[in-house]
Amino acid sequence: MGLIQREIERAGIPTIGISIVREYSEKVRPPRTLFLRWPFGHPLGEPHNRPQQRAVLLEAFRALYQIEQAGSIVDSPFRWRREKYSDYQPPTRADLGG
Amino acid sequence: MSFARLKNRLLARLATRSPALAKRFVDAYKPWETEGAIPFVRPQIPLRQARLAVVTTSGIHHASQTPFDMLDKDGDPSFRELDGATLLSDFKITHDYYDHSDADRDPNIILPLEPLQQLVDEGVLGELAPTHYAFMGHIDGRHILTLIEEQAQEIVKRLKRDRVDLVLLTPA
Repeated sequence: MGLIQREIERAGIPTIGISIVREYSEKVRPPRTLFLRWPFGHPLGEPHNRPQQRAVLLEAFRALYQIEQAGSIVDSPFRWRREKYSDYQPPTRADLGG
Repeated sequence: MSFARLKNRLLARLATRSPALAKRFVDAYKPWETEGAIPFVRPQIPLRQARLAVVTTSGIHHASQTPFDMLDKDGDPSFRELDGATLLSDFKITHDYYDHSDADRDPNIILPLEPLQQLVDEGVLGELAPTHYAFMGHIDGRHILTLIEEQAQEIVKRLKRDRVDLVLLTPA
């Protein structure tokens, strides 16, 4: 996935990739990565858990706008199945490009 | 279905439940290691004005499209073009290397079109592009250069045609 991401970014389109295997991202070195220590097949989390899916997307967008160093990997704080998303603090408009 | 495909599916199911077995899978696959400068451009427009497309390597496609080739051990480097308006009511996942039973129930966990649309409705994200793209991942050997030099370049061309500002990539 990171190889495709690199080609899209090389063409001038900013990208953010979600990763569930940190070792692969470290080797392929995509432009930006949000890493989640979650099982295969679940990059956005559990089926029908909309607050969780939303939080992952917002953290991905925060990383897209806030990462300044090419190749950065942001480690998500979300734990698998033990997270309460009711007290999640989403990024502000300023965090997402204004 | 062939014995090899059944075996891969069984192993994928076990790996989703067992972190130790998943680690063996991770260690067994050697990703392409890149060298030199990493491509990097900062977003030029705010998220609330941007048009976003999703590229996923989860093997999802429309039911009428040709499934990904699961018999080639180097994977299938081709992609499927996904119509965002109809995909969620017309999809199939062809991928034996992960357990997609949860994604079959809610494909938003691999291709989050509904939660993204919700962010559009709230004004957080500008808009979704009409078209998204799916690969199957696990590309190896002779197919890696095809992926980088041909298929990814074709995606770039189509993203530009659709005036896409930002791309989110999701694995499986």
